[in-house]
Amino acid sequence: MSDDRSFVAEAATSILQDHSTPETVRRVEHRGWNEELWSVLAESGFTTISVPETAGGSGGDIADACVVIKAVGQFAAAVPVVETALLAGWALAAAGLELPIGPATTGVGQSADTTELRKTAQGWRLSGRLHRVPWAHQAERLVLIVPVDGVDHVVSVRAPELEILPGRNLAGETRDTVVFDDVPAEAVAPAPPGVSVEALRLRGALGRAVATAGALARVADLTVQYTAAREQFGRPLARFQAVQRHIVRIAERTQAAGMAADTAALNADPDPDFFDVAAAKIIAGESGSTAAAAAHQAHGAIGMTKEYELGQLTRRLWTWRDEFGSESYWSRLLGQQVVMDGASELWPRLSTGRVPHGSTRSQA
Amino acid sequence: MRFDTTVLSPAELDLRAAVREFLAAELPEDRIPALGMAAEHDPAFSRKLAAAGWVGMAIPPEYGGRGRSAVDRFIVTEELLSAGAPIGAHFVADRQTAPTLLSFGTEEQRKYFLPRISAGECWFSLGMSEPDAGSDLASVRTSAKRVDGGWSINGTKVWTSGAHLNHYFAVLCRTSPANGDRHAGLSQLIVDLGSPGVKVSPIPYLNGTHSFNEVLLDDVFVPDDMVLGEVGSGWAQVTSELAYERSGPDRFLSTFNLLRYFIAEHGAEYVDDAAARVVGTLSAHFWTIRQLSLAVARALDEGRAPAVEAALVKDLGTRFEQRVIELMRTVAETEVGPGEGSIFQRLLAEAILTGPTFTLRGGTTEVLRSIAARGLTR
Repeated sequence: MSDDRSFVAEAATSILQDHSTPETVRRVEHRGWNEELWSVLAESGFTTISVPETAGGSGGDIADACVVIKAVGQFAAAVPVVETALLAGWALAAAGLELPIGPATTGVGQSADTTELRKTAQGWRLSGRLHRVPWAHQAERLVLIVPVDGVDHVVSVRAPELEILPGRNLAGETRDTVVFDDVPAEAVAPAPPGVSVEALRLRGALGRAVATAGALARVADLTVQYTAAREQFGRPLARFQAVQRHIVRIAERTQAAGMAADTAALNADPDPDFFDVAAAKIIAGESGSTAAAAAHQAHGAIGMTKEYELGQLTRRLWTWRDEFGSESYWSRLLGQQVVMDGASELWPRLSTGRVPHGSTRSQA
Repeated sequence: MRFDTTVLSPAELDLRAAVREFLAAELPEDRIPALGMAAEHDPAFSRKLAAAGWVGMAIPPEYGGRGRSAVDRFIVTEELLSAGAPIGAHFVADRQTAPTLLSFGTEEQRKYFLPRISAGECWFSLGMSEPDAGSDLASVRTSAKRVDGGWSINGTKVWTSGAHLNHYFAVLCRTSPANGDRHAGLSQLIVDLGSPGVKVSPIPYLNGTHSFNEVLLDDVFVPDDMVLGEVGSGWAQVTSELAYERSGPDRFLSTFNLLRYFIAEHGAEYVDDAAARVVGTLSAHFWTIRQLSLAVARALDEGRAPAVEAALVKDLGTRFEQRVIELMRTVAETEVGPGEGSIFQRLLAEAILTGPTFTLRGGTTEVLRSIAARGLTR
């Protein structure tokens, strides 16, 4: 890790340690997000990391953002860093628009989503309905990519003026339905090449894969600690082979998810690679399922209580598997791509792990 | 526990390109690839590979080797295995015996064996398992008694792959009574498989092939200069030896060619969503596990001792090798018979019949998990 990135990791971890304790996570869950934590992260520039300073962000690259996102996952923090920095901030900056202050979010490309952008005498007007929008309730801006006459446009609207039907994910984070009928767009610009709904989904998938890796690391630590301290039949649980099996399985999954997510994040320069992110999201999703099951088994009933930290993490693992595309979604796309590239390209691609900065690489 | 992402250097990428070019020239297009390290014994191929500088890579030049890094060796090994190359003759000597000789062998042994191993001309089997000593290696009964000028060894070794083809095997045996500490009194002796008193008999493998052997040792004389390492230090030597063989590309690539030939034979127009999902899932895992395995090689080059990491990678990798078989089977929708049908169908039949061994050889899944758990809960 570069020195700058280590500094970001340390600083972000220290903020999250103070402002996203298991007690805080429990206390703010009914609100759907951790507003106080958001303010502290925003003051330090971590909520707009990777968005260029010229566009109202705090600079840095995707890998820098991902060390913050990993810490967000590790501390089960309910804050829209992925949505604000990696998604909305990126789309606005790419289209030459500025990211206003405050949390921002975006549509995630649900199949039932509808959007229509029209130019009228009063300016650009937007209508539509979006489903499971992360943190729409808390967002100041909703940033969308909408086609007009076949050309994608980046559109920003003021979120507090929209009708919001509240929803939650399995971890209690807000995932709302947003309805808008002929609302004024605050800013509109043509989307440059590479800025698309698919690109947003790829970035969102990277964000969730990285956060999953962070949460898994904490699940692994918690399980080791708990099984060392808890005694049954006169000895610590960790002394039983059957329990050790859970510990090893969690460690394996944690390391696999971490390796895949780190590689995808470090290679995302300047943009995430389709193969990398698809693979990382598949591994993160599977790892989340396996490790959550093993951790609950190793913890017994205490893990099933709201009081105990484990559930804050496993509920996120369960919900993040499906956000921005499940394993099923990404494995289908990845498999189609791999088959299309043909048997002779298989090994060269599988043996391309982390690549040095500035090297060229196949993009899907 | 530490796995770092690894960037290959320009020199490492050049090495990879050279190996790819060599293999493209050496291996005919239509050959049936091997499933990992259970590959044909092809002395000519081993010699050619050695002439190119890709056997004995971990052996220093003063012993006839190439003095390359663990990552360089990883690169060559993964190319060989992904191509299903016929590495059966030299692979075990190169992977396992050479590092043991380097760590524990006498100067004379190194000077004698290592140049021959590096040339691809001296082949070894492993002499650990016995009828009553599998995972519990310390319970070996093969024993050696002091005689004039050396040792006389008696006992039975089993599951000895390639003993009918190879020149030597390093035998773990008892050289003095346990006296309460069962890890004490064990030694490793290098036995010439052509010695009087050595009887090698085949143990037919599940797929009908001859790979396994039983090796009977009946008063076999082993001269003093063939004692490997210290008399009485066999246990420490063998456990460190197992760490070497643990987490390389041979632990996750055994069934790679199933996926490759599934794609080659089915093509884009045939592959439906279910098959695409399997291809995508397996690709994601190959890509990830390879990087974990590579991280262990880099850690070794940096002077770290990633024993727990290696155990985790082997457990993950070998169970994945088996999952490849099962997932390929579910989407192939075909009946298979040994040696019948297309390359994919032959590989699938072979993989089903040999797959259970992946999580047995080199330390069973259960033993690995105990090692890993000890490291994780320390």
